[in-house]
Amino acid sequence: MASVKLTDVKKIYENKVTAVHDFNLEIADKEFVVFVGPSGCGKSTTLRMIAGLEDISDGTVEIDGVVVNDLQPKDRDIAMVFQNYALYPHMTVYDNIAFSLRLQKMPEDQVYEKVTNAAEILGITEYLTRKPRALSGGQRQRVAIGRAMVRNAKVFLMDEPLSNLDAKLRNQMRAEIILLRQKLDTTFVYVTHDQTEAMTLGDRIVIMRDGIIEQVGTPTEVFEMPRNIFVAEFIGAPKMNMIETELVRKGDQYFVMPFGTPIGVTGEKREELLKKNVQSCNIVLGVRPEHMVLADDSDDAIPCKLEVNEMMGSELHLHVYTEDETRLIVRIPTINLSMDQRKSLVFGKELKVTFESKVMHFFDKETQKNLIYGD
Amino acid sequence: MSEKNITNPMKRHMGLKTSRAIGNTAIYALLICISIIWLVPFVCIVLQSFRVELKGPVGYVLPKQWGLDNYKALFQTDFPRWYANTFIAALVTAVLQTIIVLCMSYTLSRFRFKMRKPLMRFMLILGMFPGMLTMIILYRVLKDLGMTQANAVPGLILVYIASSGMGYYVSKGFFDTIPKSLDEAARVDGATRFQVLKKIILPLSKPIVIYTILTAFMGPWGDYVFAQYISFGTSAGMNVAVGMYRWLNKDQIAASYTMFCAGGVLVAIPVTVLFMCLQKYYVEGVTGGAVKG
Repeated sequence: MASVKLTDVKKIYENKVTAVHDFNLEIADKEFVVFVGPSGCGKSTTLRMIAGLEDISDGTVEIDGVVVNDLQPKDRDIAMVFQNYALYPHMTVYDNIAFSLRLQKMPEDQVYEKVTNAAEILGITEYLTRKPRALSGGQRQRVAIGRAMVRNAKVFLMDEPLSNLDAKLRNQMRAEIILLRQKLDTTFVYVTHDQTEAMTLGDRIVIMRDGIIEQVGTPTEVFEMPRNIFVAEFIGAPKMNMIETELVRKGDQYFVMPFGTPIGVTGEKREELLKKNVQSCNIVLGVRPEHMVLADDSDDAIPCKLEVNEMMGSELHLHVYTEDETRLIVRIPTINLSMDQRKSLVFGKELKVTFESKVMHFFDKETQKNLIYGD
Repeated sequence: MSEKNITNPMKRHMGLKTSRAIGNTAIYALLICISIIWLVPFVCIVLQSFRVELKGPVGYVLPKQWGLDNYKALFQTDFPRWYANTFIAALVTAVLQTIIVLCMSYTLSRFRFKMRKPLMRFMLILGMFPGMLTMIILYRVLKDLGMTQANAVPGLILVYIASSGMGYYVSKGFFDTIPKSLDEAARVDGATRFQVLKKIILPLSKPIVIYTILTAFMGPWGDYVFAQYISFGTSAGMNVAVGMYRWLNKDQIAASYTMFCAGGVLVAIPVTVLFMCLQKYYVEGVTGGAVKG
């Protein structure tokens, strides 16, 4: 249990490629922080620098107030779970979990107690005598977690631990990690490229791109107040619809003009725009697919044609295109549609979609920053 | 036309089976011939070593009179000394060379340091020159160190292990196939680099460790050139190859040929035993289940 503090951390490889730029972050004791971003964004590199598996080119990493830059991984008191499990193939599950304890020269009866305890929590007691090759992917990952668990380390690092599992198992293990976190009650740093994992697991999410932190915040914050287009598109599935349009200010009133259809901005969003004193400008308007609705023949709705209708079970993903060929996705709960309506949603059907102003996100077209939460 | 199309594939199928059977028979016949040719000298040597009636080379294979006289006679000569010399040199070399090679391979496989690639290239090129080239200067150096003639064994060990770091290719290649994340997991688990090598890498590399030990042992065990040169005619410093070879001189062969055969059999025993004990590790695959597979 400890805090982790990264100050101006940089990673520059020998070939002069900078993988991580000035990374600043404070992780509180017992916090669960998730690094998320597309591949190559430096999230794993940052985690490996905390673990001591990569040299830190510049800046400092502190664990529990102690600068650990020059400490070997074994002296940092961390536990780590790897994407490919990294179980020792020549040892049984028991020996795998006991490995770190034996290196600490812990008496064998205590080792036994700890290992069986961990195995029980993870439900792998019956596999303790097996070798890793005789286990399934999910079981192997549990062993890997068990190996990290018994150490009672200050910080628990996880590098895409669920990426090698199939979708169903991944959901199950995700829930188990949440439970595990409650049991262990320690500091977690978790790396993933999957925004769902990030949203469901993290107390705070660090969204990275090209070695730079784009936004740090709680799942709600990054979902509702994305600082820029990248974050807005990265968080949420299917990704946010982006419409290039104008924001028009007339006195104290704001309009957006998606595809020539004027839609008034009202309520909170108007207040916030006023507070920031935003003037008329070219913007990218972001609306999440689930916030778009099919409209009746009202005036402030966007006419479009249906291209693809994806039936997801509980909801439909309608891929539509507007008159100027912009693709949008509309997500509609199946339960809101009658059978006749569902049947009528076929290729080429003309629809009208609209959205309320409270779900709009306004991004500057030039800087890509959110006009309200961009700073 | 349609009939042809239906029947032809069947015929071809049958033909395939038969031709494969013929091919296999031919291959096995050839292999049996080769192994007979290969085994004949060994069998001959073993049989000759038990021959009592004549001590020189003869024109027949099966001894007329069997006995252990030749083996007993060996112990009246310097043979035990040579045998001990060879054994000590080979054993010490095997141990030291294995340690050096494995450490070298692990370093080159896992560490990244400046000049690593140039070093590897340099050793590759250096390895292309025959070791004999260094013989004269080596003798000079060893003579100054007092490690020649009767003291040849430590000198020989020094020569054998001096360049052993250059034999890293095979084991480095094997270490490279062991996922790096195993090292990292162990290091996070609290292991030092040396513990990683000892507890993770070596147990996973048994076949290659065995291979390294065997080759390191075999080199000195069968060496003639360096041993001959460094012992320089002093019987006490010779190894078996050098010592026994003198029995094949024109003036000695008539009295020592069967003894030579007996010596040859004794020399072959440790190596044979070593191979028999260790061969099963050659084929053992051990990395299954380490990472996602």
